[in-house]
Amino acid sequence: MIPMVLPDYYEFCCRVKIVTGHDTLEKIPDLLAGKGAKKPLIITDNGVAGAGLIDIVSRALQDRLAGTLIADNVPPDSDLRIVHQLAQLYRDNSCDAIIAVGGGSVMDTAKGVNIVVSENASDLMAFSGAGALKRPLKPLIAIPTTAGTGSEVTQVAVIKDHEKHLKMAFLSYFLLPDVSILDSRMTMTMPPFVTAMTGMDALSHAIEAYYCLQKNPLSDAHALSAVNMIYQYLPTVAQNPSDKNGRLAMSVGACLAGIAFSNSMTGIVHNLGHASGSVCGVPHGLAMAILLPYGLEYNMHKCEDTIARLLLPMAGEAVYLSTAKEQRAQKVVSLIRQLNEDLHKITDGRHARCFREVKDRESKPTVPREVLPQIAKAALLDGASIYNPEETDYEDNLMVLEAAWEGCPLERSKLKKG
Amino acid sequence: MNPDSIFTFTCPVKTNSGNKALENLPIELSSLNAGKPLIVTNIGKVGRTAIRTLTGAFGDSGMTLGVFDGLADKVDPALIEQLRTTFIEEKYDSIIALGGGTIVDSAKVLNLAVSMKTADVQSLSAQTSIRKSLLPLVVVPTADATGLETSQLADLNGTILSSEYLAPGLVVIDPRLTRGKDGKTICATGLAALGLALDAHIGAEKNPFRKAYSVAAIHFIKENLPVAVRNPDDKKATLAVINAAAMSGCAFSIADAAPLHKLGQVFQEVHNIHPGIIMGMCLPHILGDYLNQGRNDLSSLLHPLTGDDEFTQTPEAQRARAAVAVLNYFTADLYSALGKDMPQTLKEAGVPPYVMEDILEVLDADQNGVYLHTVVERIQDKTPVAERKG
Repeated sequence: MIPMVLPDYYEFCCRVKIVTGHDTLEKIPDLLAGKGAKKPLIITDNGVAGAGLIDIVSRALQDRLAGTLIADNVPPDSDLRIVHQLAQLYRDNSCDAIIAVGGGSVMDTAKGVNIVVSENASDLMAFSGAGALKRPLKPLIAIPTTAGTGSEVTQVAVIKDHEKHLKMAFLSYFLLPDVSILDSRMTMTMPPFVTAMTGMDALSHAIEAYYCLQKNPLSDAHALSAVNMIYQYLPTVAQNPSDKNGRLAMSVGACLAGIAFSNSMTGIVHNLGHASGSVCGVPHGLAMAILLPYGLEYNMHKCEDTIARLLLPMAGEAVYLSTAKEQRAQKVVSLIRQLNEDLHKITDGRHARCFREVKDRESKPTVPREVLPQIAKAALLDGASIYNPEETDYEDNLMVLEAAWEGCPLERSKLKKG
Repeated sequence: MNPDSIFTFTCPVKTNSGNKALENLPIELSSLNAGKPLIVTNIGKVGRTAIRTLTGAFGDSGMTLGVFDGLADKVDPALIEQLRTTFIEEKYDSIIALGGGTIVDSAKVLNLAVSMKTADVQSLSAQTSIRKSLLPLVVVPTADATGLETSQLADLNGTILSSEYLAPGLVVIDPRLTRGKDGKTICATGLAALGLALDAHIGAEKNPFRKAYSVAAIHFIKENLPVAVRNPDDKKATLAVINAAAMSGCAFSIADAAPLHKLGQVFQEVHNIHPGIIMGMCLPHILGDYLNQGRNDLSSLLHPLTGDDEFTQTPEAQRARAAVAVLNYFTADLYSALGKDMPQTLKEAGVPPYVMEDILEVLDADQNGVYLHTVVERIQDKTPVAERKG
């Protein structure tokens, strides 16, 4: 049986309209008109614009939205100053909708701008936290350019105040974009190593959503479908970047995974991933890719059956049938290790398999072994730990980090029991 | 998924399900900027206790509630026009529909009338364009739901209004309200949900997002309906069945050629019979026809119906047939558990000949009318025992 458990209590919500295809950008004018909007502000970053993606979007808007204003100065890390600056631009030009084209930081920024312009606020800060928003915001169309973050379907935005060294989180269903457009043209030019790590980010969303404590039948159904698509298509598109159908399938998979994790939350993989990002700047997707097999091993004794159930959607019937029941969970872990290995090869070694392989632009190690205790400590302050099946602590965090640094599986004898 | 597939999907419904789910209503409403909801229901259908449970959940929230418990068994345009006037005069800002089926249809039409400033409810038609968000609508389903509560449709006595804005923003499934008064009620609800989920799962408009809802719905019906039918007081099983009903409405799209839904809807419309009763009768016939047409997409039903092991151990070529056999066995078991309480033919359901004429007339107007006609003929009389056994 598919043991889908109905929890004593659960909530599930994803109100985003999802529009997919190979030429869906062309639907934007109608989608905006449906919301009574005709003067959107496009928010993006210069990487996206430089890759020619905004030209594709502009062409798709054609005459109906000719001369649409474009702001391409979103930094890689969201910035409160930019949010306020873009909000001013929006107001000065009497815009009536936002089109966000990019990855996580662009989506976060666009959501932040939307709060300021919709609430006619002078300071975004007043709306931080959960539930501060009480009414729908201006129409927001999200167009992801990676198949990874899932932020086109999440109700969260994180904005940094670099002057005050503050990171503010905003949480509200009103932050969900009205429409997410998944168009294969938007991810087609992603280089293999970015494809690899963003894809592994999406896979980690789906898998953590499936084993975390707040899971529910609907997050499960989204997660299983996401695992199936991502595992199948990630190596394909890393290998053949111009595979249109594979690209679209990856976008759909990442979107399903986004819906799953934003409703069931995430666990130790994200917990340690956030911490390694904030302590030494490991790219988020790469941290997810490296930590995922260890997170599964760490939680194995708590949810072996759950993990085992990932095998069929991942590897398909032949592998499922040829793997003995008690081996299935372990097989899931080894397939993910193998996937990292394959991506390592496809990207000529740019996709790191363990923390010691992560290098910065000058080929210096990004994660020196001596910072692991600092990461383990920082992880204790991150909220993601509370939904993890096993209760984490400093020692466990360090144990997992050390194994993930070295690239050696966790020793079962060192794990908690029961 | 077929990666070529190009689709649009929206489910505007948030789901809150489980213990004390009702108690979160004040917070949910205030997060939607609503503070004065009008509860609409039909006391004859849901009973006084259910209304008390719902109003009691507002405790000391300080919210002012209006309760109108006199909805008719059909969607009554004149009554909705009166309610609209009251709603505006008393400055209500949101609607809570307590119950299933026509209660929720009435609430959706009321929401439309209030939000779009439509004084003449009769003027609403399938062509009415609904392009803006309506006021917050919450659905609190009871055991006699039909699944369509969470859908983007409203049935105004046969006129089907369709818009994503008609769907409720929130469905609250509370085990205190999902227990059935008898096995027949919960059985009809479960069969209606199964029908919608099947239509969605193999319909023309399938996509992975809809499939997430249909898979979960089919699975929960299969696992829980037999228990709920035998023990309509079982908290866990009935909660799961109503969850499945809500999921099936989210999965459902009118764009599918959905014969089960159509047949259920027409009989409800003309004869005020729960659509699940009709869908249950039609199910074996329609599935049999699908098999004969060689529809291999039926094979995808086997997985949510039976799980990983049975699915993978059944050779691919046999999966469609196996899925139909499982479903036929499943429905036959429900009928045998309920005996005479659950009609298996239109004759047993007491649908009189003059009503049949009206029904056939409505069906003939459907683009799929010729086929639907043949299904109705087959459920008139005589239990098709041999086919059910599969």
